Amino acid sequence: MAAGFKIAEPLEYHRSFLKENCRPDGRELSEFRTTTLNIGSISTADGSALVKVGNTTVMCGIKVELTNPLVEAPGKGFIVPNVDLPPLCSSRFRPGPPGEQAQAASQFIADVIESSEVIQTEDLCIERGKLCWVLYCDMMCVDYDGNVLDACIIALLAALKNTKLPEVTINKDTGSTRTSFCVFDDSILIVDPTAEEEGLSTSHLTVVTDEKERLCVVHKPGGTPLSAEKLQECIGRATARQREIQKLVDKVVHSVKTAQ
Amino acid sequence: MPTDTKRVRGPEVSQSPTLFLCKHAAVLPSHGPRADGRQRDQVDVRPVFVRCGLVSQAKGSAYIEAGNTKLMCCVYGPREMERKDETDMKCGKLTTDMRFAPFSCLERGSWIQGSQDKDLSLMLHESLQPAVCLHKYPRSQIEVNVMVLENSGSVLAHAVTCASLALADAGIEILNQISGLQSDGEMTEETLTAGVRTCIEGCYKLYPVIQQALTKAVRRAAPPPSES
Amino acid sequence: MSPMKLCVPGDKLCSTEDCIPGTGIYLRHGCIYSSLTGYVLKKNEGEELPVISVVRETETQLLPDVGAIVTCKVTSINPRFAKVHILYVGSTPLKDRFRGTIRKEDVRATEKDKVETYKSFRPGDIVLAKVISLGDVQSNYLLTTAENELGVVVAHSEAGAQMVPISWCEMQCPQTHSKEFRKVARVQPEFLQA
Repeated sequence: MAAGFKIAEPLEYHRSFLKENCRPDGRELSEFRTTTLNIGSISTADGSALVKVGNTTVMCGIKVELTNPLVEAPGKGFIVPNVDLPPLCSSRFRPGPPGEQAQAASQFIADVIESSEVIQTEDLCIERGKLCWVLYCDMMCVDYDGNVLDACIIALLAALKNTKLPEVTINKDTGSTRTSFCVFDDSILIVDPTAEEEGLSTSHLTVVTDEKERLCVVHKPGGTPLSAEKLQECIGRATARQREIQKLVDKVVHSVKTAQ
Repeated sequence: MPTDTKRVRGPEVSQSPTLFLCKHAAVLPSHGPRADGRQRDQVDVRPVFVRCGLVSQAKGSAYIEAGNTKLMCCVYGPREMERKDETDMKCGKLTTDMRFAPFSCLERGSWIQGSQDKDLSLMLHESLQPAVCLHKYPRSQIEVNVMVLENSGSVLAHAVTCASLALADAGIEILNQISGLQSDGEMTEETLTAGVRTCIEGCYKLYPVIQQALTKAVRRAAPPPSES
Repeated sequence: MSPMKLCVPGDKLCSTEDCIPGTGIYLRHGCIYSSLTGYVLKKNEGEELPVISVVRETETQLLPDVGAIVTCKVTSINPRFAKVHILYVGSTPLKDRFRGTIRKEDVRATEKDKVETYKSFRPGDIVLAKVISLGDVQSNYLLTTAENELGVVVAHSEAGAQMVPISWCEMQCPQTHSKEFRKVARVQPEFLQA
């Protein structure tokens, strides 16, 4: 009977849970799903990471190539992030060129990289005006169960940490970023939404902070308005999440290093 | 060259640094064991790891790892047919899509599907079509999506194995499990038949692995129904 | 009870002389083979031979078939028909949504010419219906509610409250006590929701 209710009246079904301050999967409103991380699993990529946030799985592979810098920016290299949501990861995506959501996600990641200065593009220059690195960061969603942006950023970060530039090695991990993803359903705030929750919510908010707990990006595309206190609450939660993820990434990177 | 406005674009040309490394021209040894120590002309298949039911959103899914080749397959459906035409109202339609992740090969691939992907999709379709009981799914389509995460040879063969696993995991009625093996090289008629024979032998070796993975997935998904 | 036997597609189960074929299997050369991964189930149904089938966790019926009772949600209406999404076949939920159509003349069994679709359904209603045809190239599944047990089971009033049925063609809102027209189903207890 509960299952019937869920399919027939999904919104009512979720509201009945939120009234009790819990969610259909047993989490509290501000609880994240278990996050696991695995790096260096793809040998054909120069750096790779696989992240699972609950069911959501994102794989990031980084390919490093050489190219000429632009004439207008002779001292800069390139970072080319792309997010792909293939039809494999959910029935909502069709084969063919990337849809709006994938395009928006790619652009969002590009903005995050630029504003957070995870990597300074100057560091990717080998010889001014002549030769520089280009990092192709391809993030692919393998299982879409909400909150892909979060998973993409974790995967990107971990993969970057895993990347080794051949020949000329350059120190590149400068700043580090973390996103947190909050969703509002009739002014109730939940974090780390599943695909189902994402579909039913009225507004989305993404907060990106760096390792010094500075705010990098706040992204809220439309939807219902949000009070200043709620925003503060989100940012607070985001910084807490940032520390958790930082710890996880460091631990995994360390364990891989010792294993070698 | 058409510009791709739907993705973040990089510089127009770039080369992989591996091109500049001086490497020994890879020559396949004509006798003796293969480069990775396996025997030639024998059923010496790389160790295979298979799992079913990994993707939460899909009806059925499978992951296969053979040596360094890693691929995933998801099955969606049966769902309503997107494009209807007169001919296949009585039975269902099978669609296949096979893609390489850009980081799966030594050379970075583009996101745009090349002709190779389309060829492989078609070949995958041809291998699966006879096995699926499409007449049991009128007016609907079954989608098979394969993603190559890492390519280190025999992708098509493993894609076939993986896809049939995912179909079985999805509960789509199929006549038999299919598995594939690939053998490459210039072939004369005798070596071709010999090659086919070794492949078939190898496939037999794969069956127990496949069976085990499937039964494991079913056991995990559901307890045995009570006999009533 | 001994653990039930598991089989994978292509497994030979028995000869056609030993069992009557059920579901999840196929016949070839006088033998019964499995076409699903699942448990082998043998049932004696009063006849000499047991019925053999292969089952997974629940029922394997995946697609709406002619004669099946389906639960659906009304998505849009116009004077000629109502469009619905099929959510359930029997008691098995469908993973992907299938669309169906209830034509005006299939809403009820009597006085077909007087049927007005907007007095029978509203978008958002949960309706029990029966599949009468798989449809042709242009149309979707054709459904009917022309039975006492079929029709609207759950409906919300304009005020947003869930309404209670008061007759076979009217429902009442518990908040505003306003009445709205519906083709109401005489609900059997097992389909009652919420």
